[in-house]
Amino acid sequence: MRSVSERLLFGPLWGVARKLLTMLLTLLLLLTLTFLLSRMAPIDPVLQVAGDHASQQTYAQVSHELGLDQPLPLQLGRYLLRLLHGDLGVSSTTAQPVASDLARAFPATLELATYAIVLASVCGVALALLSALKPGGWLDNLVRCFSLLGYSVPVFWLGLLGLLLFYARLHWAGGPGQLDDAYLYSLNERSGFILLDSWRSGDAEILRNAVSHLWLPVLLLAMLSMAGITRLLRAALLEECGKEYVTLARAKGAGRWRILWRHVLPNVSGTLVTVLALSYSSLLEGAVLTETVFAWPGIGRYLTTALFASDVAAILGATLVIGSSFVLLNMLADSLVLLLDPRSRQADIAHPSSR
Amino acid sequence: MKKISYSMPLLASLTAFCYPALAATPANTLVIAQSIDDTSSFDPAQGFELTTVQAFNNLYQRLVQADVQNPQRLQPDLALSWQLGKDKRSLIFKLNPKARFASGNALTADDVVFSLARVVKLNQEPSFILSQLGWTAQNVDSLIRRVDSQTVQLSWTLDASADFVLRLLSAPVASIVDSKEALAHQQDNDLGHQWLGSHSAGSGPFRIRSYVPHEALVLDANPSSPRGAPKLKSIVIKNVPDAAARRLLLEQGDADIARNLGADQLAGLAGKPGVKPLAIPFASLYFLQINSKASPALGNPAFWEAARWLFDYQKIANQLLQGQFQVHQSFLPDGYPGALKDQPYRYDPDKARAILARAGLSNITLKLSVNNQPPYLDIAQALQASFAKGGVKVELLPGISAQVSTKVKALDYDAVLTSWGPDYFDPHTNASAFAYNPENGSKTLAWRAGWHIPELNRQTLAAIAIADPAKRAAAYQKLQKTVQKSSPFVIGLQARSLIAVRSNLKGYVQGVNPDMVFYDKVSK
Repeated sequence: MRSVSERLLFGPLWGVARKLLTMLLTLLLLLTLTFLLSRMAPIDPVLQVAGDHASQQTYAQVSHELGLDQPLPLQLGRYLLRLLHGDLGVSSTTAQPVASDLARAFPATLELATYAIVLASVCGVALALLSALKPGGWLDNLVRCFSLLGYSVPVFWLGLLGLLLFYARLHWAGGPGQLDDAYLYSLNERSGFILLDSWRSGDAEILRNAVSHLWLPVLLLAMLSMAGITRLLRAALLEECGKEYVTLARAKGAGRWRILWRHVLPNVSGTLVTVLALSYSSLLEGAVLTETVFAWPGIGRYLTTALFASDVAAILGATLVIGSSFVLLNMLADSLVLLLDPRSRQADIAHPSSR
Repeated sequence: MKKISYSMPLLASLTAFCYPALAATPANTLVIAQSIDDTSSFDPAQGFELTTVQAFNNLYQRLVQADVQNPQRLQPDLALSWQLGKDKRSLIFKLNPKARFASGNALTADDVVFSLARVVKLNQEPSFILSQLGWTAQNVDSLIRRVDSQTVQLSWTLDASADFVLRLLSAPVASIVDSKEALAHQQDNDLGHQWLGSHSAGSGPFRIRSYVPHEALVLDANPSSPRGAPKLKSIVIKNVPDAAARRLLLEQGDADIARNLGADQLAGLAGKPGVKPLAIPFASLYFLQINSKASPALGNPAFWEAARWLFDYQKIANQLLQGQFQVHQSFLPDGYPGALKDQPYRYDPDKARAILARAGLSNITLKLSVNNQPPYLDIAQALQASFAKGGVKVELLPGISAQVSTKVKALDYDAVLTSWGPDYFDPHTNASAFAYNPENGSKTLAWRAGWHIPELNRQTLAAIAIADPAKRAAAYQKLQKTVQKSSPFVIGLQARSLIAVRSNLKGYVQGVNPDMVFYDKVSK
């Protein structure tokens, strides 16, 4: 039997190891599935590289170079082996190492997604609270209407509309792209995070230009996420409000706002964290349509282009990045929920194997 | 019915009230908005997409070049002169002794030998253009020879006229690369292939400053180019994947040229101040290709004949996709030597019905594979309606372009609405696609249509050996007539390249072939 100090030490360590193992297994499964799916797609990857007009000899050479003349399990095995050495392969569409492609594309998406989720959480939580303050009231109806709109209007259309109004008509926003062309190529260091890069340039004009290009897509994505956050949080708040302790608090004369803020919100914080994590990870998958309309060189566009070209190395690389961020965010959310909500800790202790 | 993307009415109504453009591109920089997602490599031995071939004319030079105003005329580029060898199977080129690459290296015969031989050795997509001369990785070093530092001799084993060979040498794949520069960046004996994928080593009026895939291609002027210093200092070709966004950038003055616009976008730009919409003749043909092996009915020439009368040429060109197409019914595009311009077919469903009845064909259902993008899907929908009136039921099978071409190459289709662009400026490029199906496995268009044509194969090969240009043109006219009269191809439309430029732009030149784009004379 272990001593108390051993349990204190090994307990959390084992927990972390178990989580890491689960994560690795999940990613392995994800990669295998993606690999098989991309091979099952009715697209000939050789044709995509060699082209429609190429001769038979060229076709055969490309097929060999892509390793497609080998059996499927061997292809996957080789990929995983190289992955262990940190080699993600070379994209057949960009002819660049997938790792360097991703190092450019992912920060662009990460930047958009992070600003959007921060904005969406602040506004989303505020709107949900306002809405739950007086369910069925005019404010609640307005908020529900607004979030329904965010849910159902195609983002592509909204993006074009935004460009027309704020870029073309009012000149409040920059056009498609991360910076005006005059500035884009005067940046020396490129980390992919456009605000950081323009900040480091030390030129206030470039920074201002970057912000003018950034705010519209951020606002758009924030609106979409906010719609989901508001709706789910509002529902959770209202459900919680029906519970007995709320009735008791009200009977004791507590104000509605105080009840919501001090009692109900902490109780739904677990839901809130999960909803935020899910929203954030869906933003990190890359908002393909937004990135297309705003000519934003993010991971969503990278993955779509790769999919259409059956560029397996790029598809697997992008899947790995998106999958890892999804798993990591979920783990983070799980841990946060454990911290915030004592009830979930109890569940964890009672059924350790279920987590 | 005309299909309009849902953004268009909105664009039209909102932009109508736009303020005059505030933004302007830098005075010494040309900003081009287009999609560059098609790029594979900026190595001329590999690049074979619109974005890359359009760049090659500005980055590299060839020995000879087609006159862009009159492409049927060849003119010297890096070669000062050339003469036919005594065996009539070789050409001797004298190079321009003053020519230098952007790196400062002198251009010599070694560079020519290196550049042409590496295309064959690397064996990438466009290599067939040169290897059809009989050049292989094994023999190419003996067939392309340095005579002295300024003289090169090229020989070939194919029975081909010098005129044909010169035409091949004017293709982007025959660009002359700085061998010292390329070899200095060689990795694993790749002849500089990897490095040249995103760098340039040529003598053209521009050089690559940076290329970021899916983002931008930036070119700097090369003032020492033998073709002369360009007027502008740099070019930014910016990836804007969405056509409506490209149009917006141009209207706002944030781009000087917007490429690949749709017919809707071009119509919306008409009459806008500061903008000039252009519909430039383009050597791309749109046609219906029937898989004659799919069923006995589809292999019946009577069905092919009926299909010719069921294609509503005028309506598609003049009403559905106004300005984007002209009616064209032969396999050589308008602008090519020997191209047939006559239009023997028109939409006549009654005639088609009669032809089908006479052949005993009834209740035909045609599964038409088609790219799900405009204009393909729009045309396919029009065909669905026009074929129905002739008693042929058309089912559309839309898919992404990669999916459609995979199916076609696997012969897993009934019919496909597709397009074909020439690979170099010579009639053989399309003859070898539409009227050539050798039994050795080369997957030409005729092969994809399951069409076996030993006699046409012979005529197609014979035509490249004819030395007299007039006789050669006549041979291609005969081939076109045969394909037009009876083949599983219903050629209906020739595209125009729809672009728009700012009105202050001067000196932009674009020719009929996809690669014929020149930025060196552009000023604003």
